[in-house]
Amino acid sequence: MSQKKIRRAQPAQTTEQRRRKLHRERRELFRSLQGKLLSFFVIVVIAFVCLAARIVFISKEKGDAYTKQVLAQQRYDSRTLPYKRGEILDCNGMQLAYSEKVYNLVIDSNEITESRKEDALTATMSALQRCFGVDTAELTQYIQNNPQNQYHVIQKRIPYEVVEPFLKEKEENSSICGVWFEEEYKRRYPYKTLASSVIGFAGTDNNGNCGLELFYDDTLNGSNGREYGYLSEESTLERTTIAAKDGNVLVTSLDVNLQAIVEKYMEEFALAHRGEYREGEDGVKNMGVIMMNPKTGEILAMADYPNFDLNDPENPAPFMNAAEIEGMEQKERYKYLNGLWRNFCISDTYEPGSVAKSMTVAAGLDSGKLQGNESYFCGGKMTVSGHTIKCHNHAGHGMVNLSQSLEQSCNCALMQIGEQQGKENLMKYLYSFNIGLKTNIDLSGEARTNTLVYNVDNMVASDLAISTFGQGYNVTMIQMVSAFSSIINGGKYYQPHLVTEIRDSLGTTIKKIEPRVLKQTISATTSDTMREYLTNVCLKGTGKTAVPAGYVIGGKTGTAEKQPRGHGNYVMSFMGFAPVDDPQVVVYCVIDEPNVADQPHSTFAQEVVKNILTEALPYLHIYRTEELTEEQIKELEEKNLLAASQNEAGQVEETDTLETTETEGEQETQEEDAESRFTIDANTGYAVDPDTGELLHPDTYTPVDPTSSDLDGLVGIENDPEQAVDQSDLPVDYSPQEKTHSGFGSDGAGVGAGAAIGGSGINITYDNAGASSSGTTGQTSTANNTNTDFGAGADF
Amino acid sequence: MGRKNRNRKVKTENFFDYTLLFVVLFLLLFGLIVLYSVSSYEANIKFGDGAYYLKNQMKATVLGLVVFVIAIFVDYHVWEKLSIIAYVVSLCFVLLILTPLGRTYNGARRWLDFGGISLQPVEIVKVALIMFLAAFIAAIGTKIKDKKAIFWSAAIMGVPAAMIFFITRNASSAIIIAGIATVMFFMADPKYLRYVGLAIAAALFLTVYVFYSIYKAQSAEGTGDFRKNRIVAWLNPDDYASDTSFQTIQGMYAIGSGGVFGKGLGESVQKMKLPEAQNDMVFCIICEELGVFGGLCVMALFLLLIYRCMVIASNAPDTYGALLVSGVMGHFALQVLMNIAVVTNSMPNTGVTLPFISYGGTSVLFLLAEVGIVLNVSKNIKTKEVVVYEGRRA
Repeated sequence: MSQKKIRRAQPAQTTEQRRRKLHRERRELFRSLQGKLLSFFVIVVIAFVCLAARIVFISKEKGDAYTKQVLAQQRYDSRTLPYKRGEILDCNGMQLAYSEKVYNLVIDSNEITESRKEDALTATMSALQRCFGVDTAELTQYIQNNPQNQYHVIQKRIPYEVVEPFLKEKEENSSICGVWFEEEYKRRYPYKTLASSVIGFAGTDNNGNCGLELFYDDTLNGSNGREYGYLSEESTLERTTIAAKDGNVLVTSLDVNLQAIVEKYMEEFALAHRGEYREGEDGVKNMGVIMMNPKTGEILAMADYPNFDLNDPENPAPFMNAAEIEGMEQKERYKYLNGLWRNFCISDTYEPGSVAKSMTVAAGLDSGKLQGNESYFCGGKMTVSGHTIKCHNHAGHGMVNLSQSLEQSCNCALMQIGEQQGKENLMKYLYSFNIGLKTNIDLSGEARTNTLVYNVDNMVASDLAISTFGQGYNVTMIQMVSAFSSIINGGKYYQPHLVTEIRDSLGTTIKKIEPRVLKQTISATTSDTMREYLTNVCLKGTGKTAVPAGYVIGGKTGTAEKQPRGHGNYVMSFMGFAPVDDPQVVVYCVIDEPNVADQPHSTFAQEVVKNILTEALPYLHIYRTEELTEEQIKELEEKNLLAASQNEAGQVEETDTLETTETEGEQETQEEDAESRFTIDANTGYAVDPDTGELLHPDTYTPVDPTSSDLDGLVGIENDPEQAVDQSDLPVDYSPQEKTHSGFGSDGAGVGAGAAIGGSGINITYDNAGASSSGTTGQTSTANNTNTDFGAGADF
Repeated sequence: MGRKNRNRKVKTENFFDYTLLFVVLFLLLFGLIVLYSVSSYEANIKFGDGAYYLKNQMKATVLGLVVFVIAIFVDYHVWEKLSIIAYVVSLCFVLLILTPLGRTYNGARRWLDFGGISLQPVEIVKVALIMFLAAFIAAIGTKIKDKKAIFWSAAIMGVPAAMIFFITRNASSAIIIAGIATVMFFMADPKYLRYVGLAIAAALFLTVYVFYSIYKAQSAEGTGDFRKNRIVAWLNPDDYASDTSFQTIQGMYAIGSGGVFGKGLGESVQKMKLPEAQNDMVFCIICEELGVFGGLCVMALFLLLIYRCMVIASNAPDTYGALLVSGVMGHFALQVLMNIAVVTNSMPNTGVTLPFISYGGTSVLFLLAEVGIVLNVSKNIKTKEVVVYEGRRA
């Protein structure tokens, strides 16, 4: 077309000319084409370089993030196999805590949408609805909106019973797809509230909280396994499994039956006094019972009140009404829950009261400062460096010998005993009884008491006086029960412990925890004497109430006045043991501020111990040795406890009658003494103190006014009630440096810094005491070893 | 060496671009290995045969090699005469998609099915267009600057592009067709300025389109359409990682997780995640298995291929041959660049395959035909006139 035009326009041109022109044009075009080719190539090269830079950038800048992302997406192909946290068993193999396999229901939208079966979605949905009650409309919507999603959890922690029928259905119907189950373990506590603060609890995350669950967290936990997906040579997805390593099993010395008995009577007591005096409050402010085998240091039962449900630990509902819970701030609520979770038996400190008298007397006897034939006069009060300290019997006990000083729990006699042996001796023995030191029991949250006891250098006469009967310094229940055990078991201080054996998940024993003697606190002879005195306490003295029908037991009562003094608040306690000649069980009950108008009666604690022993002793195969009176038979029949071991009764008839008569005689003389000095107020029927005009109960000569204080304002080491909260907030332990100390009360000696020095002073004295009292370096090193062994876990 | 000898040699010596031949054969073999590595997992699940895709591709490759050899030996001027027929026939193939012969796969009707042998007409259109445009431009010569010529050129380019776009709903192929044609016009036209203007206009249009998309997406927020906006998804791939950008993001994960030297051939895990990784996303898996290094090597090979095309085009014995090679060069350049730009999220997601490596029989067959033609052009270069780019050798 164009060539014709050219021809027409320039007819004069020759063929040769045309050819040359065309050739020129073509060359021109060709030359420009070469230039264009080059420029196009340059553009392409630039574009390639840009893209190459982009690839390098992605790899360098985002490589790590994307690599992680890729690994995270492999969930389906490489998944974690959870380990099973170890069980906690009691001494008879009953499960206190175990982990149960549960299943999370996971939907794989991708598999459903990609399935070649047309009814995949409908079949899967109907099966899901039938087996799990899934809202199918909602789920179908989800699958349609997220067709690529491979991991969508729709139900959590389903038990196997629910999963099983679905798996069967899936096997029969191949259209069901895109559903799989992720395994998980849920911690269960079959006894719910039993021994709650001792066992502690762990969530699905396998983190233990308080108690054994926390202390043995690492032992109980295993390690996760893994299932890997990889491509085989044929490029098919193969799986290989590295199995999970399950956690170890703890066998404890706790006995579910004894624990249940203990908790039953504690609750009975607390409920009986609920709202009795202080409106709307529980029967006790705090209450704890420890039952221990004095020959091994194994804890048979340990309980505080109230309990909580370990399966639902964050629900305080059983103890508070709904409105109260609603009104609580989150922080307040957890503060309350922390209080609930803490173990009173090891975390709370208090002044031990008269139970400590057994330590004072044992110290005197063992050191040789007392011969056992001493007698003391009690006039109802004594004046020590200007302070008038009263005996609980304001009328005075008259002349008492050593045994009677314990039987009657005579403060005046004890103060004289203290004076006789001196503060150095008493403190040396208290340290040897581990007062002020941790027992290192295998539970988390044990209170540190080193700043809550006297430092021998700063003690003044009045401090010594009140500390002889257990006022002015602070202890924990576990310290007291361990120390007392050594007094009655021949002088061996056993480390208290709960776990007796650690097994692996297959049941093979990995470690046996044998009873560990830490030191010899007193000699065996002293121990024999002490057992005799303490038996007398329950036979003829203040501890008669605690004696279960048909048994002879030993023990010591305690009534400690709480700080601030003179507010009528007391800690009542009783420490009992049986049988008296070969103690197999020690029971210690502490009741903090019972909800009654008139608190200072150790009978509250005694009754609880009596009830516990009545039921627990036959269970422990300790049989009745005494004849039952008709009254006692009636009482036992009511409780349906008579059947047990009645045939054993009546064997030691003779001695029993003899001792009973003796006791009665003693009391009569006392009453005569009292009557001679006191007048009876005609209007009220109370006795009147001729010196002060104070009204006293005519039988016991204890003051009628519950707020009256025997201690004349002596405070000793102040035990700040707030400190209790501090400790529970910090399950490990609170730091003693953080606590400012109020010093040594009214005597004003050694304030602040003195207390801090006191802490370290105790440790030094302890080492000396250990060496001198045991007499053999071997045992001292045992003590040290023990501390190191448990150091990692327990010595915070 | 004497002048006489050299003159004698010129007549007997034929140039043949062995570099290009080896690059193509290497890419072909490499493509098959990568294809097997990438596709075996999915093939196993879907067809129970890990080599399913590989076998199909090998059949096409064998057929392609036959065509390749034929193309090398048939003088390329034959295509100058046949190009108009090829062009018309290729357009008829596109129309055939509308008949019952058309086959739908993955929701797109882009294939023809002749009793078991399936064909993608768009690949034929590309070759036919290159042939026809080269013949057309060579025929009109310098008249390419005329308005009439521009109209005809636009028609030759526009008809197939529009047909591909409207019949097969394949925007990316339409863009490539338009692109190849534009590259060829650019080569033939001595003027530069109008193409610079065209580039600026295109850039402006794209910018406006991006902003318009964002505006539309914002106003449609909350409705289902919002999610389907590719432009918005391109700009914020992480926000759409579970739907629109799923493929892109997963591809980026593959590139990023490969490291410098990759996880090793066959070790990719992303190919299990990426649906149909053997198609458009194959370059990601190369980067994952062979690392950034492997990816850059593949890019270098393509660049070498394009460079060889340029050298051949520069030395082509005539305009038709030069334009033919430029068209093939443009085809390769556009397709490689667009593919890699998409997988690195440098441009919005469009389905462009990577030559010789992505799965697709028709594509391999016709790409081999194109390279065969290029090699034939190189065969027609007289050694004496060979121009090496650094400077001419007299």
